[in-house]
Amino acid sequence: MAGIYIYSDNNEIAAEIIGFAKRVGKEAVLLAFDEKTAEVMGNSGADKIYLLNGESELVESYAKAVAELLQKEEAELFAVGSTARGRELAARAAGYLDCALVSDVSALSYADGWFLAERMMYGGLVQQRESLDGLGVVTVPGGKFDPVTGNAEVISMAVQADRRVSLVETAPIVRQGADLSQADKVVCVGMGLDKEEDLETARALAEAIGAEIACTRGIAEERHWLPAELYIGISGAVIKPKLYVSLGVSGQIQHIFGIRDSQLIVGIDTNERAPIFKAADYGIVGDLYEIVPLLTDALKKQTIDRPE
Amino acid sequence: MSKVVACYKWVADEADLRIDADLSVDFSRVKGKISDYDKNAIAEAVNIATAWGEKAVGLTFGTAKAKQSVKDALSRGLEEGYWINADEAADADGAAVAKALAAVIQRIDDVGLVVCAEGASDTFARQVPSRIGAVLDWPVVTSVMKIEIAGNGLMTVRRLDDCMQTVKVQLPAVIAVLPEINTPPIPGLKAVMAAAKKPVHEFKGGDLGINFTPKTKAVEFKGYVMARKNVIFKEGEAADKVRELAAALRKEGVL
Ligand SMILES: Cc1cc2nc3c(=O)[nH]c(=O)nc-3n(C[C@H](O)[C@H](O)[C@H](O)COP(=O)(O)OP(=O)(O)OC[C@H]3O[C@@H](n4cnc5c(N)ncnc54)[C@H](O)[C@@H]3O)c2cc1C
Ligand SMILES: Nc1ncnc2c1ncn2[C@@H]1O[C@H](COP(=O)(O)O)[C@@H](O)[C@H]1O
Repeated sequence: MAGIYIYSDNNEIAAEIIGFAKRVGKEAVLLAFDEKTAEVMGNSGADKIYLLNGESELVESYAKAVAELLQKEEAELFAVGSTARGRELAARAAGYLDCALVSDVSALSYADGWFLAERMMYGGLVQQRESLDGLGVVTVPGGKFDPVTGNAEVISMAVQADRRVSLVETAPIVRQGADLSQADKVVCVGMGLDKEEDLETARALAEAIGAEIACTRGIAEERHWLPAELYIGISGAVIKPKLYVSLGVSGQIQHIFGIRDSQLIVGIDTNERAPIFKAADYGIVGDLYEIVPLLTDALKKQTIDRPE
Repeated sequence: MSKVVACYKWVADEADLRIDADLSVDFSRVKGKISDYDKNAIAEAVNIATAWGEKAVGLTFGTAKAKQSVKDALSRGLEEGYWINADEAADADGAAVAKALAAVIQRIDDVGLVVCAEGASDTFARQVPSRIGAVLDWPVVTSVMKIEIAGNGLMTVRRLDDCMQTVKVQLPAVIAVLPEINTPPIPGLKAVMAAAKKPVHEFKGGDLGINFTPKTKAVEFKGYVMARKNVIFKEGEAADKVRELAAALRKEGVL
């Protein structure tokens, strides 16, 4: 069946893409690899759910089978949620199909028989728009479209997996931090922080203004001072708080990409030439160890009447 | 065991890009660099080759400008450099890049493993490694933060959005590593000197029999600019700067 074929290991994103497909007047076919997903997604507005049964627990290892299915069904687009699993499945399927793939689209639309996709390049410095002719693949981050409802017909079929990769063990990642995408205020620490204990300085400020703590990639991935879900940027969280305050963050483009939709950006950094000041509404050039305790004090006094 | 190929890209340094008033992108002052995370891919390829007692080689697809990358790459512990020289590289998409790289991987004798980075600094499309695997019909493992040798295969640890996975893969395979997998050493003077003497193999894009035409049509390419107030307090006592900032935040009504 022609139409938009959809997969995500994140059911919310899958539902959003189904919403897109229906809104542009296309058939929506959801690919599910387990019965539970097919059941949970039964009322998400898809026309059909293809329940693909095979021997591997790794969704990515069905890439070749998925590519063959898309070709046989004369799919118009394969739209996949932008998660680690989804990106791999999407790119391997695109490779087998030798077709276009636009990754992590910031916008996706359909008009006059063409899909138009928008994405960023150079860490967010450049926006590129491209049109897809014929079957193509896109990966789609969460929050781009609204879901719809409606019952789907479930059709089971057997698929072959690539057995050269096998799953040995899975350990869940327990989310430790706040959901930054919902945060109203964020205090973000960067590599300008000298020691892990100094996180307390940032926490005191965050507490005074009712903000969540976040960080740059290095603080999470190199120093492991904060969990990975708390770093902001093209490879991390994208946030849209009322207020973002950075402490010792240089403001490289890959980080800034994650805070562009903030209402107000404030940077504190010793280096007057740090790019954070070009991205900021307000800034202080100064040592965070001197500035932050003073600022915490000043803002504590100001926010006494802040509703809890 | 067999050779390890590190795929790295020579990219425009995004720090040198200028966005003009009409949002066009000015590349005139741009210097090139090895894509940041590809240094991790090179270091990991060298580590595995060393553990195998084998050779790690570098492979890049680029325009004539990419030539200057080869010595830099070789100074990072690779034994040989493979360079695909093609004007078409300037606007090649993921499909063309993967086919070009795969074509040369097939021409290199006895490759057991291809190591790429998670994503390139310019595209950050995170697609080329998976596509190379598809073109070669080899198994692929992405988001890898640890690799161990396990018999004649590899045991890898992947970090996904919701879990950590331990995954075993047969060789030959393509692996995309996260930058957290290692800290690439900075090449010393001796390594830089030695790099000049290492063999470099050049391929011409036209000789690979690939259609480089991009699969999508570019409709628009423009800079992104944020309109921000840029009020920076830099002079005077810390206490004064803090007082001014606090007053501004109060006025903005964001507290
Ligand atoms: C493909 C790619 C993807 C990436 N994705 C991300 C991403 O998603 N998120 C991300 O954050 N990064 C990402 N990066 C990395 C990014 O390019 C930067 O390297 C990183 O954001 C820098 O982190 P930082 O500002 O904490 O550290 P630095 O750049 O080291 O900055 C530290 C700052 O602290 C200041 N400082 C030092 N001491 C003090 C003091 N006492 N008081 C005040 N200021 C002080 C310094 O002046 C400096 O400006 C990515 C990079 C690439 C290539
Ligand atoms: N032109 C190229 N030459 C060599 N390797 C490349 C090239 N383009 C991409 N790669 C490899 O594929 C990875 C991911 O690239 P991308 O899919 O463009 O984000 C890079 O980090 C490199 O390891």
